[in-house]
Amino acid sequence: MRAHPTRTAAFVSLWAFLMALLPACGQAPGQTETLRYGLTLVPTGIDPHLNASAELGIPLSSVYDTLVFQDPGTGAFVPGLAERWTISDDGLSYIFELRRDVTFHDGSRFDAAAVRANLEYVLDPDNHSQKAAFMLGSLESVEPIDEYTVQLRLREPYAPLLDSLSQVYLGMASPAALQEWGSSEYQFHQVGTGPYRFVEYVPNDHLTLERNPDYAWGPSIYASDRASIQRVVFTFYEDRATRAIALESGEVDVIGEIQPRDAARLEQGGGFVTYPVHIPGQPLQYLFNTQRAPTDDLRVRQALTQAVDRPEIVETVFGAYSPVAEGPLSTVTLGFDPGTPYPPYDLPAAVALLEEAGWVDTDGDGTRERGGQPLGLHIIAPNWGSNPEVAQLLQAAWQALGASVTVEVAAGFGALKESQAAGEYNLIGVNFFGTDPDLLRSTLSSDGLYAWTGYRDSRLDETLLEASGTTLDPVHRSALYAEVARITRDQALLLPIRDYVNLVVANTRVQGLRFSSQGWFPLLVDLRLAP
Amino acid sequence: MVPAPGRPAPGALSALIIRCLHGLLTAWAAVTVTFFGLRVGAGDPLAGILAQGLASPQQAEALRHSLGLDRPLPAQYLSFLTGLLRGDLGRSLYTGLPVLRVIGGQLPSTLALGASGLLVAVVGGLALGTLAAWRKRSLWGRSAASAAALATALPVSFTGIVAILAFSTLLSGRAASSLYALRHLALPALVLGIASAGAIGRVVEAGLSQSLASPYVAAARARGVPSGLRLLWHALRPALPPAVSLIALEAAYLFSGTVVTETVFSRPGLGRLLIGAILQGDYPVAQGVVALAALFYTLSHILADLVSLGLDPRLRGKG
Amino acid sequence: MRAREAAALIWLLALLSIAILAPLLAPADPRQPIGPALTPPGPGARLGTDSLGRDVWSRMLYGARISLTAAMGAALLATSLGVAAGLLAVSAGGALDALVVFAANAALAVPGLLLALLLVAGLGPGLPAVILAVGLSGAPGFARVARTLFLQVRESGFVDAASALGASLPWVATRHLLPNASPNLLALAATHYAWSFIGTTTLTFLGLAGDPSLPEWGAMLNAGRADLLSAPWLSLLPGLAICLTILAIYTLTEWLARLSTPRSLTLPRSL
Repeated sequence: MRAHPTRTAAFVSLWAFLMALLPACGQAPGQTETLRYGLTLVPTGIDPHLNASAELGIPLSSVYDTLVFQDPGTGAFVPGLAERWTISDDGLSYIFELRRDVTFHDGSRFDAAAVRANLEYVLDPDNHSQKAAFMLGSLESVEPIDEYTVQLRLREPYAPLLDSLSQVYLGMASPAALQEWGSSEYQFHQVGTGPYRFVEYVPNDHLTLERNPDYAWGPSIYASDRASIQRVVFTFYEDRATRAIALESGEVDVIGEIQPRDAARLEQGGGFVTYPVHIPGQPLQYLFNTQRAPTDDLRVRQALTQAVDRPEIVETVFGAYSPVAEGPLSTVTLGFDPGTPYPPYDLPAAVALLEEAGWVDTDGDGTRERGGQPLGLHIIAPNWGSNPEVAQLLQAAWQALGASVTVEVAAGFGALKESQAAGEYNLIGVNFFGTDPDLLRSTLSSDGLYAWTGYRDSRLDETLLEASGTTLDPVHRSALYAEVARITRDQALLLPIRDYVNLVVANTRVQGLRFSSQGWFPLLVDLRLAP
Repeated sequence: MVPAPGRPAPGALSALIIRCLHGLLTAWAAVTVTFFGLRVGAGDPLAGILAQGLASPQQAEALRHSLGLDRPLPAQYLSFLTGLLRGDLGRSLYTGLPVLRVIGGQLPSTLALGASGLLVAVVGGLALGTLAAWRKRSLWGRSAASAAALATALPVSFTGIVAILAFSTLLSGRAASSLYALRHLALPALVLGIASAGAIGRVVEAGLSQSLASPYVAAARARGVPSGLRLLWHALRPALPPAVSLIALEAAYLFSGTVVTETVFSRPGLGRLLIGAILQGDYPVAQGVVALAALFYTLSHILADLVSLGLDPRLRGKG
Repeated sequence: MRAREAAALIWLLALLSIAILAPLLAPADPRQPIGPALTPPGPGARLGTDSLGRDVWSRMLYGARISLTAAMGAALLATSLGVAAGLLAVSAGGALDALVVFAANAALAVPGLLLALLLVAGLGPGLPAVILAVGLSGAPGFARVARTLFLQVRESGFVDAASALGASLPWVATRHLLPNASPNLLALAATHYAWSFIGTTTLTFLGLAGDPSLPEWGAMLNAGRADLLSAPWLSLLPGLAICLTILAIYTLTEWLARLSTPRSLTLPRSL
């Protein structure tokens, strides 16, 4: 019997087929001119003036410059597009003198009129800005005094204004481009003044930036005058399971939100470096709904807080990379007060509190009842940041306590807001980032945009308002925020879990990786790729 | 009556027309089922917009009116149909972008995966089926037959994960990055095509076995066609038509397969788009993707029928 | 019966017992952490713990119960709807028959998985929605097949005789069509159970089960992907269980089919 021609033929054709597919599959990594950066969330829109996602800032903070920049080390504000500024004694007037040598990526000049056009775009109610519009306090008017000087007038003092003006959400866009494209299309044709130009964005697929060769007005916080990497391509990895694999296979050079176990493994294996970035702002937390039974009862909220072993949860889900959160602000945020730690894990105390509140397991089925009603809890968890895992552990802890707990995962910020609007939750996970603690107002003040606790307390409102109005005294503001933390803890308004630490992992070719004061945003201009 | 020589059989053309009309009817049925299936649950499609503060109540009312959501269901259905004919699939509720554009952005990735998967299925199916029928009693033949049966039973979710695991553990670190391209498309295509390869393989095996035992092949042998590849080709030809129709049908099933494959390998594409739209409640996008998929499925069916008609004169029917 | 079929039967019987006895057999609550996360199999945790420290063995046991019953629910829905529709079509005949055929073909114009996804899109994620979706999307196909079976029975003469004797429609349906078609219907229903099982585990794998801590094989297969390289057994175990179950069902249905059809002529030796 001669050799099987079919078998040989089969193998040969199979191998030929595989080889034929190889060239069709795109470029292999390793070219020094392109940096591949992985993003982990697909925002519904990527115009920073209109959308609230932190993820969009990762690419776009290199497309825009802001009037001022914040030094990541000292927290001080340094000149950006504005060379100098003066603030009136009553805190109601800010005058910015702008640089004269700045041009937008489309060639038009940056001037005071551009500043006004941008702020008007943000404040236009028809544009529905989700974040930037709320960062300007009680801004009354924006008036160019001359071609390169602009005055901002406020109705009341607003301490966080400089901080707001240092963020990408108030980055300066070309008025011509804003005008030409309008609020829904502009996100695909963004024009700024930054070290990188916006090339294109295909939703859920990729976003491309290219070096701006004319960039000559970088702030002092940038280590380099201009960018060295020619192109940066951002691709999306919403699925946690694929991020480490993307790094290992070379699909991306750097990506954030790596799981702790994967980060440890990647570093040990060699070829990768971990950059843990501690993010200021609110920690990963769950707000209690004080308007819905059973969490409308303070004792129940306190019992639920004490029934949770927070260090254990953080250890299980986040490994050794994340500190346990102890209040409404993460430990690296201005205004964090170490003097008001949260109650530790104490199961007997929690049980005692529940029974004192009347919740007892009368029929031995494992769930407590009161007046015939079972102790039922509904948790809404967003789908980012390992929230679903934390929610599952909370569910397990409270089921052991005798509650019947259901968890709903909201797929995205929009879905989260939609679920919240339905009102059928006892806990909801939400948190915002930022360097200025005034961000607490949107969640804790009764008129805040995200006042999802339903808790109304004039004392809390006044404290928060005063803290945002006092312009220059950080010590006084800190004392006020300590008071806020104390009220939050004593009224059990929220359950803090962990400080956000973004685990960014990059391969060893990536050098010079630094992040802005906000924590999330890499300073792309300072990056270099080793050959 | 014997038809006049030189004219095509009268049955062929009418069969073709009937098939096309039937196809149109099926296509209409598909998009109708899509429209009503989506509205099985009660709920306001605009609840999400209002909840997000993307529109004030007055603007939501205006939007509701402009989208025609305040009209009775039959009227909405009619405008959906006319919109479909115009190529207007509406706008995403969350991003406001035209659905057609959103789909267009994801289509190339899914097409690439689907086409490669189909290639794997056809090549694999032919190889498995031929081996199983031609070398029936040898180990190779029996293994091929078992492999085909096994392949149909394995869900893509599992084979995908095994593939990733095998690939990552066998080639980790530097080797993995040099075979980057392989992982990017070939592996998902392989995984996707395996299940269809099994189905195609079984049909090829059945047809080829029958053909090899038929008088037609015995006659070829008697004419002196040597055993081996030439005889195989002789035997394969009549076995092809059912396989080809199956291939056309599998092409449509591949779309369902891409949904899972894209999830397993986290590839961008219509599958991930659909799942995301379902989880977020973005009805226009979900509706658009499924309607297009159903239309494609119908087209494949029509194509399958036409190919069978073309390949096998016996199916053309009487006049 | 070959060894393969015996193994399949044993597997399915074992699963059935596990599904019934899960609360007694499971050493731990499937939603409660029992130790550190990702511990490999060993004393204390027979199959190790998952990424949140829960007992994998308990989750697999409860997973058998949930996966099997979810598929059963969907299959029951599909088969009962399909049988009812087929019965109605064949016993009533005429316009009603044409309507049923048309409706079934219309629904079948959308591929199965997509139709199920569409229904979940309308209902919102959740295990009941998954069961309903897989059940409803499987009904049209089953209706078509059931109708064919009933037609075959009708052609065989029982029905004409009964009608000639003045039997009413429901009588004919229940006393003649259904019993005579039953053996084949049952075999088809068994195959359909495999289809429903694949359908429900696929939808939960895609994340549509709604409850993130649900111990269900498809959901566990998906959740295990996040730790695939450090703890592959978290995905492999539920994945293998799903595959073995599908294979077992297919093997048994083929065995049943072989039992009921006469032995065909053997083909001449290949050339």
